Order: sequence, then structure tokens, then C-alpha cells
Amino acid sequence: MPAPALVLRGVAKVYPGGVRAVDGVDLELGAGEIHALCGENGAGKSTLAQIASGNLAPTAGTVTGAERVGLVHQHFELVLRLRVWENVLLGREPRRGLAIDAGAARERVRGLAASHGLDVDPDAVVETLPVGIAQRVEILRELARDPRVLVLDEPTAVLSPPEIDALFATLRSLARNGTAILVITHKLQEVVSHAERVTVMRAGRVVLRTLTGDTSIAAIARAMVGGELPALAARTPRATTAAFVARDLAAGDGAHALRSASFEVRGGEIVGIAGVEGNGQSALTDAVAGVLPYSGDMTLGGATLAGENAEARIAAGIRTIPQDRQTEALVLSWSICDNVALGDQTRGPMRAGATLDRAAMRTLATQIVDRFDVRTPSIQTPMRALSGGNQQKVVVGRALAHDPVLVVAYQPTRGIDVGAAALVQSRLIEARNAGSAVLLVSFELDEVLALADRILVLFRGTIVGAFERADFDRARIGALMAGAA
Amino acid sequence: MALAGADPLAGFAALLHGALGGTHQISETLVQTTSLLFPSLAVAFAFRAGLFNIGAEGQLVIGGLCAGLLGAWLTLPGWLAIPLILAAGALGGGLWGGIAGTLRARFAGNEVIATLMLNIIAGLFANYLVVGPLRAPDAAGAETAELPESSWLPALVPDTRLSIALVFGLALAALLAFVFRRTVFGYSLRAAGDAPEAARRAGIDLARTAFVAMTLSGAIAGFGGATIVAGVLHRFNVALSPGYGFIAIAVALVGGLDPLWIVAASFAFGILQSGSLTMQALAHVPKDVVTFVEGLAILGLATRRIVATRSAPA
Repeated sequence: MPAPALVLRGVAKVYPGGVRAVDGVDLELGAGEIHALCGENGAGKSTLAQIASGNLAPTAGTVTGAERVGLVHQHFELVLRLRVWENVLLGREPRRGLAIDAGAARERVRGLAASHGLDVDPDAVVETLPVGIAQRVEILRELARDPRVLVLDEPTAVLSPPEIDALFATLRSLARNGTAILVITHKLQEVVSHAERVTVMRAGRVVLRTLTGDTSIAAIARAMVGGELPALAARTPRATTAAFVARDLAAGDGAHALRSASFEVRGGEIVGIAGVEGNGQSALTDAVAGVLPYSGDMTLGGATLAGENAEARIAAGIRTIPQDRQTEALVLSWSICDNVALGDQTRGPMRAGATLDRAAMRTLATQIVDRFDVRTPSIQTPMRALSGGNQQKVVVGRALAHDPVLVVAYQPTRGIDVGAAALVQSRLIEARNAGSAVLLVSFELDEVLALADRILVLFRGTIVGAFERADFDRARIGALMAGAA
Repeated sequence: MALAGADPLAGFAALLHGALGGTHQISETLVQTTSLLFPSLAVAFAFRAGLFNIGAEGQLVIGGLCAGLLGAWLTLPGWLAIPLILAAGALGGGLWGGIAGTLRARFAGNEVIATLMLNIIAGLFANYLVVGPLRAPDAAGAETAELPESSWLPALVPDTRLSIALVFGLALAALLAFVFRRTVFGYSLRAAGDAPEAARRAGIDLARTAFVAMTLSGAIAGFGGATIVAGVLHRFNVALSPGYGFIAIAVALVGGLDPLWIVAASFAFGILQSGSLTMQALAHVPKDVVTFVEGLAILGLATRRIVATRSAPA
């Protein structure tokens, strides 16, 4: 065991309101090791990362070595309008008199990048960079402070498979030079492929700590959820009902625009859109939902869907699970019961004349809470008081409640724990079995592979590949996602 | 009050005596309550839709002006004239609010700035009219001709200025409470106010909602202005409002934007308004102390909101 670079002893964090996010954790990071930290959402991983990097004071316990820890955030904390070197050296720029010595700064960043094998143009403006490169900038910024420990919070969530490989190659070279690396991730394949040791947390405590060579993906998953994962719902043979057809669909502008897409989603099938975030997925789903101007044609069951008109789309039977549940799907200050009618406020069964049918709303809310195992004290509980996973269950439950013709699901399991994710996935399959057409956008290739009947690969706003379930080829799809011809 | 160099206890006693000391005082307090209630409901209505209507003052003035002009000109029997006069007030206020609503809906203009400027325009325009072309020839001050007595709102308590406008106000509060809690319209309005992006994706037309909310908010304030003209002053003059439309913002916030609580808050502020003059006369506490207290209430509530927003979990 190499000399520990960071030592946490009996660390606990109790938030105001009594939530014990971290409850007595010991953790040692050895110089030169890559250590994975796993756990469901709410297990306390991010809180632990904040404590380890000295950004958050623990309620109890001691941290030794936090002054030399660099933290790479899940959501990059970069100034988008500034250049790479300006971001990397922000606040520590070399000076010449009162002015910043741009030449020296550029050279310093260039040298830093070269010595770590991180290929970045110091003069590029950050907002023009793909996420994989932007992440390198964030890593460089931390490396500029010469840390002994680097903590990365979900670094692979937004990367394509080749970018993930490149990231771990960088981390390995850093580790060889003596940096201790702590990677928070829920992708267990990465854990066993790249980390030497793994620590699994559940409900604020460490429940498993082992060498990755001595464990398996299944064992880590069991430790995370504290039992066996429920199996996905079985798929029945495809039903054929009304289909959604898009022809020459284009929407949005800039780097994330949808340039041209022609496809169809038949009733009773799940069409998965595979791709790295930012390749036109949100423009696609927003155009279908009727909340973004577009060009091209869309029909549902033969009837034309005209214009940017969310109300007409909902009336036609299109339901969406939007990207951001907290701002795009829910009114957080309202109760579950009040939220279940949103989108259906102008039609039955939620409406009765000029008023809402409160009884029907209560019935539906109760059904969703039961069927989706929403953990809540009551249907009158405000949405805000629910965890992200439970909020998402309400969003999905509402979208599937009225036998939708087409369900547009954008990252339906993003940021929710594995148990809740499995439940949401099963419900989507059941909707498909019942004849709904499902358009699934996910950045997790594994999720698309598990759920889809057909896969379309989206790259830079264009569909670059189509695969039937029988012909799913992980390597080929991954390559297309990264832009291979 | 101690800060203003007066005896606080005597000040409070005078305030309460002035507001609640007898039939006359109580009815004057209820007159103030009524005058505050309409613009407060107007502010709350827009607020629920996510719009900060600080133009209730201007909408109230325009409503009062329309009511005063029509009222002085009409020679119909009361049962016909009074509804028309009140409708004119609502129409004028609605139009005034609708301007800000249109700017917001069509051009994404900021309703705070629009309503603020419309306040100034309304005030100066009304001032010009009653000082100049529409000043009644026989009037002592800057005011329009008096309404025929048949067009006055019936008094609720004989020989006081308290009219049935109070009943209208209470009925409106009850109606709005029902609209917010039960109707599809109120639900859509609240969704647009509380989570605009979620509302848009739920098929609610945000631009249309903003226009409708501002127009109706203006109509409520304008109706209130008309009740002051038809029930209290019996003519339009520039002293119609000592700033009811601004105090209304505090009342609406103190009432938590809930129509029924706003009735209670209007009464509380009505006590302050109507008792302040007595307090000044008897206890030598400047009536500006009341304005000061109202300001503190707004500041306190605004701060509480900011603190609540900041400390909410991400």
C-alpha cells in the first residue's frame, strides 16, 4: 500500500433538517491509485467528494490532505466566453505590471497540457469546444494547482465511448506520476476496467470496499442497492398500430441543431436514439413535442402535425418526458396531485366543465404513486420535497397515464438510482407492449441497447446509422456515435 | 413612533380610536379597506400568473376617470347607470393593463417597467384633463362634474361613505379564490406563474396568458377606481387615490396572494390608513409613520422571499 495522499476518518455530514448525508466514513487514497466510488443517488457520494476536496466542512471526523485536492465537477464550472488559458489560470494569471502576461500564460497552459498528454488549443474559446475537450480544460485547471489528489464527479456521464477511453488513459498517466485519483461513477463497467479499488456507499455508509480484481459488476450492483435488482419487464411481440413519421425534420440552430432526420416510430416499438449529448437530441424531441420551430413534416397515424403547438400535440396523444424534470415537467411548489393534471388540464378525464375534476386527479395521483412506487408521505406532498428519482417517477407516470400514442422520453433515467431506473425502464417497455410508440433518447448506450427495438445513431444533427434489434453491434454503434464514417 | 418623538402608546391608542372608535370611524376604515381591496386583488391576480403588476395605481386612476366621465354624462336611472359606470371603469383599467399585457405578450417587454411608466402617463393624463378641458365649470378644485345622485352607489350604512362596493369586493375575492383553486383557467394561470417552462410544454400559451392576466388585473383595479368615484367621491378628481395601487402591492404580499387573506390584509391596512390622521392630530405622530410601517412590511416580505429562494435545495 503506497503512502496515503488523502485520509478521511469517521467523516459525517448532517445537513440542516437532520439529513445524514454521510454517516461515519473512513476512506484512504494511496498516491498513484485510481479509486472508484459508487452508490445510488442520495448515497452521499457527492457530499463525500465535497468534503474530501475541502469545499464542505464535515459535521464530525477528520480529513487529512484536503488542501491538495482538485475537484472536477459533473457540471463543468467553466467561463464559457473565455479562452482555454484564461479558464485554466483564472485568478492566478501571470502578470506584467498591472496587465496579464498573455504570452506567458499561453505557454504555461501549453506546457501543462503537453506534459499530461491533454491535447487542447489554449486560445480556443470554451463554448466552442465539444464536451470531451471542455472536460480536459476543467482537468487542466485543477492540474495547474499541482494537486496530489484529483476527485472527478461523474466524469463520463457526458462522454462518448472513445472519449471515455481517452479520459481514463489520461487518468492512468496522472496516476503513474503519483497523483491519487477518486472517480465517482455509476457505470460499473468502467469501475472494473479502470479502477484498482472500489468503495461502495449506501445511505451515507460504506457497504463494500474491495480490490476490483476481487469483485464483479453484479456484486457491486448488489452492494449499491442492498439486494437483487428487479429484472426488466418482458417484451411481447411487436404490436402494429398508428405510427409517427418524420420527414426531413430540422430544428434549432448552432452546434446542437438537428440538421436533417427522416424516420418513423411504429406503435408497439421503442426506437432508441443513440448519440452523445449535444448532437441534436434536444432539438429533435422539442420539435416533436411542439415547443420548438422546425422545418419538415411530421404525421401521427396519418394525420399531419402542423406548427409549433404543444397543445395540439398533446391532444393528438403525444406525451413527453422532458430533459429537465424540475423546470420543464413539474411545478415544484405544487403537490403531486396538482401536478398529475398538468398537460391534460383542458381535456377529460382531468377536466369537468370549467373546473378541474379533483376526484379524478386524486385517483390518478394515487395510481401513479402505487404503480411507480413513489416514496412520499402523501399525494398532497409538494413535489419539491421528493427526491429526484421520485419526481421522475411522477413525470413518467403522468406521461404514460392516458394510453399515449407516442411517448417521447429524453434521458428518462438520468440522475436517478438504479432501482428507480429499472422501474422506469420496465414501465416504458410495458407501454410499448400495450401499443404505444416510444421514442427514447439516451446518452447511455447500454440503456438504448437494453430497451430499443431499433436504434438510430444521431451525430451532429444527422442520422448516421440504423440498426434492428437483431443486428445491434455495440462497437459499431459506439464508433458511429463518435463520428466514424 | 418613539423615533418620531411621540409617545408610542398614545399613538397606538389614537390610531385605533381613529380607525375603530365608533360607527363613523369603522365605516371610514371599511371605505379604505374597500379602496385597497380591489387593487390588491388586481396585483395578486397578475402575481399568480408570474407578472409583477405595479401599475394598479394607473389602472385605478384610468378606471376612475372613465367612470367619472361617463357617470357625469349619463342621465339614466341608477339601476342601469351604475352597472354601466362600473363597467366603464373595468374597461378603462383593463385597457390600461392590456397595453402592458400586449407589450409583454407580443414583444417580451418587461411588465414592471411598462406598468411603471403607464402609471406616470395615467396620472399626468388625468391631471391634464381635470385641470384643463374636462374641469367642471362650477368646481372648486380640479375635478369633473358631479355624478347625478341616482348614479351613486347605495350606502351600506346610512349617512356614511361606506357603499355596497365592499360587498362587490368581498364577492370578487370569493370568486377569485374559486377561480384559482378550482377552475382550469386558474390552474393554467398559476402554472404559467409558478413554472413557465413546464406550463409551455403542457400546452399553455404563455403570451396569451400574460395578456389575459394583465388585462383582467387592470380591469379589477379599474373597477376599484370606479367604485371610489361612484361610491365615495361621486366625481373624479386627482385626489382619487393616495397611492392605493402601490399600497396594494404590500397588501397582496401580506395576504400571501390568497384572495381571502387579502381581505384580512386590506382591513389591517385600512385601519392604518384611516387611523393615521387621527393619530397625527391627537398624538402628534406624523402620519408618514404609517407609510414607513407599510414600507417595512414590503421590505420584510421581499427579504423573506429572497432568503427562502436562496436557501431552497437545488
